[in-house]
Amino acid sequence: MDIGTGLVAIGAGLAVGLAALGSGYAQGRIGAAAIGAIAEKPEMTGRAILLVAIPETLVILGFAIAAMTILLL
Amino acid sequence: MARVRVIGPKRDLVRAIEELHTLEALHLDVVGTAVGTGLASVPEDHGRDRHRGELSLLLVELDALLSLVTRPDRPTPVGGDQVPGSIDASAMRSAIAPTVHEVEARVRELEELEAEAVILPRYVQPLRQLLPLVPWLADLSDHDLALLRLDTAALVLNLENDTVLSRLRAEVAAELGERFELVATAVDENTVGCVLVFPHDAGDVVSGLLGREHVRHVALPVRYSKLSLKGAIEAMEKRVRALPAAIQEAQAAVRALVSPHAAQWQLYRTAAAAELEQLDAIRLLRTTDRAYVMEGWLPRNETGRFREELEQRLGGHVVVEESKPARDDRCVPVLLRNARLVRPFEALAQFLDVPRSASLDPSLVMAVFMPLMFGIMVGDIGYGVILLVLGLYARRRFAHGARVLRDISFVLVAGAAWSLVFGVLFGEFFGDLGKRLLGYDWAVWMYRPGAQALEPLLLFAIAIGVVHVVLGLLLGMWQSARFRESRTLLDRLGTLLVIAGLFVVAGVAADHLPETAMTPAVAVAIVGLVLVLSLHGAMGLMVGPLELLGALGNILSYLRLAAVGLASAYLAIVANELALAGPIWLGIIVGTLFHTLNLALAGFSPMVQALRLHYVECSSKFFEGGGTPFHPFGERHTTGTGPSRMVEQIT
Repeated sequence: MDIGTGLVAIGAGLAVGLAALGSGYAQGRIGAAAIGAIAEKPEMTGRAILLVAIPETLVILGFAIAAMTILLL
Repeated sequence: MARVRVIGPKRDLVRAIEELHTLEALHLDVVGTAVGTGLASVPEDHGRDRHRGELSLLLVELDALLSLVTRPDRPTPVGGDQVPGSIDASAMRSAIAPTVHEVEARVRELEELEAEAVILPRYVQPLRQLLPLVPWLADLSDHDLALLRLDTAALVLNLENDTVLSRLRAEVAAELGERFELVATAVDENTVGCVLVFPHDAGDVVSGLLGREHVRHVALPVRYSKLSLKGAIEAMEKRVRALPAAIQEAQAAVRALVSPHAAQWQLYRTAAAAELEQLDAIRLLRTTDRAYVMEGWLPRNETGRFREELEQRLGGHVVVEESKPARDDRCVPVLLRNARLVRPFEALAQFLDVPRSASLDPSLVMAVFMPLMFGIMVGDIGYGVILLVLGLYARRRFAHGARVLRDISFVLVAGAAWSLVFGVLFGEFFGDLGKRLLGYDWAVWMYRPGAQALEPLLLFAIAIGVVHVVLGLLLGMWQSARFRESRTLLDRLGTLLVIAGLFVVAGVAADHLPETAMTPAVAVAIVGLVLVLSLHGAMGLMVGPLELLGALGNILSYLRLAAVGLASAYLAIVANELALAGPIWLGIIVGTLFHTLNLALAGFSPMVQALRLHYVECSSKFFEGGGTPFHPFGERHTTGTGPSRMVEQIT
């Protein structure tokens, strides 16, 4: 494996990893609030799942960038 | 749904309410009081209000009592046939009163025992830690201490700051000089356990000191406070060991007290709840001098049967009128009716919200796509078989249980079936275990973790996304056309055009489509863009592009189908690698552990991801929430599922 391939792999890892960090931070805060809301109103469960799952798009976009990095470079 | 108006002579009002209650068919709604109709609310009645208050109190008491009976012993709520004309709430409360007092006493005992089981171990731990610090004291029996004319006090201090202990020592020294011994040990961050040994004749002084407010202490329970340190610990530990049995005994005593009456109380509860519902219904109806008018909602195909049934029950002294609500009437209650295979997805669809009246029910779309997406993400024969077995077991286990559990187990079975299909397509059996055992790649389509599979896998995920989002947009357009919402219709059309144009452009750029398609594609995208921008007026330049980016982001979001699937496949491969790294017995343990973890993730994560894709990416294109669920008057939740009895009969 040459240095270029290694750098591509590091870049792909960073794309997913940093996106996952941001997604995790957001999900943590939303999740805490969502659990509080569900405790008060159980009928909010569906919306809570939705709200918690929304920041996951960040990591999916990170995954897309990582995949493009590997496939195109 | 049809708006139904029931009109009859005022003298039959009470009977009519009772009959409607037992029919369990009509969703009652408030009657409008248009000027000139002569309709008026039923006048307030203090007697009726008092009766309502008594019934509410009775219901609270009965609910509290019945909650003490464990589920297997709890009688099933009876149906709505036993609707009395008028029940005597006071007599019922008097009937249950003797048992209530006895139950309250038993419950208090039980609560004290449970509190003791929580608190006592907190004393034992610090005292155990103190024991080695005063071995000479620990060896002295209660009798020896009495002979030496010494007393001990065991304390658990909740420290507010570090000076509390030194202040306590100084204050005891000020009173007793050197005639005491105080040893202490930290139990945790804010708690210190102490033993104070002092002359018997200084008992009052020490009690006074410990009673002062600035020395916050938690004294031992009275029954242990006179014992020696060792004696107290032994007595407490013995008590801690005995408490679970004592609690069980107390619980059994409560159950034994309640169980013989539970069936009768359940009948009381049903009757009281029915009476209360009928009293509440009076607020919704209207009367003239001689007639009553009730209004409500009913599935349109059931009005004929409803009319016949009510006329028969009320001896023909009733008129049932039917009218068709306006399409955009948001007050119409919603009753979802789907085919048997789609019904389990109704609960999942309604997790988000109840669809608005006359709007599209997303259950069918979920029934088609959700198991498919689940299968794409899991995509493993081994996991699929296990999930299928678990799902079938859950369906049997919850056959008579809560509907939501049965529904979720059905969804799991459907998802597991698709997992088997994609397991064959991807050639995965517990990751690469099948490939290792057979010695060759047996994937019908592509082996997901393979280097060549990434690109087709991503394209496949995007393709699913395009189909799903475009379907959502088409359904949204159809719905907008039905509701005559032209702006929404054009907005969705514009988004659709832009998406179509951009994907054709991407196809041409990737050499998958002929170059001749480029110009029409760009034109279509521009037309769509202009359409979206123009619809938002001055804000269009900002809002329009954001909406389009959101739609494209929605499609890219389907990449999670590939991402979650790949993560699952790689975790399975890691499990196999680790299993083969050591001796076979260790390998089996490690492999089982990792595959179980992966299976647990496979059962949960794809379900949540598939739900999210439906809620956010697809349903948002057509789903309109804010509907009111259809609840027939007098509906009993005896079975927990399905339509009401009347509706069941009719259908």
